Amino acid sequence: MATLEIEGRVFEVDGDGFLQQPEIWDEDVAELIAKSDGIETLNDKHWAIIRVIRKHYEDKGMAPMVRVLCKEAGVKLREVYDLFPLGPARGACRVAGLPKPDGCV
Amino acid sequence: MVINDNKEKALSILSRGDGKLQVHLNSCVRCGLCAESCIFYLSTGEERYIPARKVDLVSSVYRRYNTITGKLVPGLVKARELDEVTVMEMVDLLYGSCTMCGRCTAHCSVGVDISYLVRVGRAMLAEMGKVPSTLQSTVDAAIRTGNNMGIPVDELIDTLEWLEEDLQDDVGDSSAAIPVNKSNVSILYTLNPREPKFFPLSISAMAKIFYAAGESWTLSTKMYDVTNYAYYSGNLNEAREIARRLRDVMYELNARTCVLAECGHGSRSFRWEGPNYLQSSYSFETITSVELISRYLKEGRIRLDKSLNKERVTLHDPCNLVRSGGIFEEQRFILENAVSDFVEMNPYGYDNYCCGGGGGQLAMSEYGDRRLKAGELKVKQIKNTGAIIVVTPCHNCVDQLMQLNQVYKMNVKIKTLAEVVADALIL
Repeated sequence: MATLEIEGRVFEVDGDGFLQQPEIWDEDVAELIAKSDGIETLNDKHWAIIRVIRKHYEDKGMAPMVRVLCKEAGVKLREVYDLFPLGPARGACRVAGLPKPDGCV
Repeated sequence: MVINDNKEKALSILSRGDGKLQVHLNSCVRCGLCAESCIFYLSTGEERYIPARKVDLVSSVYRRYNTITGKLVPGLVKARELDEVTVMEMVDLLYGSCTMCGRCTAHCSVGVDISYLVRVGRAMLAEMGKVPSTLQSTVDAAIRTGNNMGIPVDELIDTLEWLEEDLQDDVGDSSAAIPVNKSNVSILYTLNPREPKFFPLSISAMAKIFYAAGESWTLSTKMYDVTNYAYYSGNLNEAREIARRLRDVMYELNARTCVLAECGHGSRSFRWEGPNYLQSSYSFETITSVELISRYLKEGRIRLDKSLNKERVTLHDPCNLVRSGGIFEEQRFILENAVSDFVEMNPYGYDNYCCGGGGGQLAMSEYGDRRLKAGELKVKQIKNTGAIIVVTPCHNCVDQLMQLNQVYKMNVKIKTLAEVVADALIL
């Protein structure tokens, strides 16, 4: 089991740094993971995206399509990639505490 | 770990009297040229990663069960039992430290097809149920849902409609379309599921190119996934099933040409491995989108203004397309026409370094640290070009390069070939 230490807190993660236990996620955890990706402060748009992903995951057990993300969070597609340089999967989903999605991500 | 009853099946792969296999298993002369070819060895200096070691692991098991000396005095010929220790080592080396990029094969002094032997080893492990669970879950999703990310059909359709509206706005034509499930078209196009799920700009780009070329094309919502992760896992039955679905949808829709999206292993597994999996050739044409775009340019069906792409661009050659598939000129011809400042990496083309993301590595989180370390060579290559944009016609490479970009602070943009072409289109 890999661990990820950010500012003194230690998380159990997979080899890609995704939380092993999505249920321990909270907003403080999101801020810490974001920092480990070089995002110093999460702004309103970051939070809107994170909440949509989180809600979708809790309702359906998987990350939303980026179309749903844009629509429900009220952001433009290209903005998603500016806000999360690693993209919706390795970037936003990881900050939102989801397990790593399957596929080429 | 318990070796299950499938050990015999695994061993039968080695003893089926396959002449090619026997030659490759018994020809290594230990010259060591492969060491300097391997990104895992070069980035760490760890000898266990040397490709010849991987070959020897498989051939030592071969000797144990298929040669008289190996059966009677295994120690004399360093023959190894297919036991728990050997299996663990095989999993670690054949899945966990090889992208099947084939650079070692290209350099081998006696022509041993090393990546083929890695595939044979993986096929043995697949028989024993030892595919890393992270890789297997991607295959399972494809088998179960028809695409490797488990995207429901209605969500795919919503996304394509959303992109179609965007395309219509972009080109200023309300008849511009992203057609689905159309019969008797020229082209059936495919997607990597990561495009509709997370990165649809490349779908928009390709749709715009089709629009500019006046192409008759369609996507199938039943089978659009260009990937075949069973090629990586080594499970032949699953690889065959995935290839069969794409072939069958070509026949159902009666499309003339199957165009494979920018995906190295997907192109390889359907175009070059697929007929072997299915034991029959296709009665339709299969090409990559790289070749299609090049063809459009040569035939004058699309026109580009390269002054629209001013930033310096370099190209990452996906191993499966270039080293294995021989698609080398087309992407360069396209970039000469699409960007103002193109610079090659060193080495490039047939001798290019793998990005580190191939072979199923991106799916296998347990080896994530190794994958990022193996990418260091690619990072140096990119930094040396001074490029602002790295183009690569493979979504798998795109994802690895995006992560390398962040971890090693390269400060570049990663794009597919279709994206830079779409940016330069003259409508």
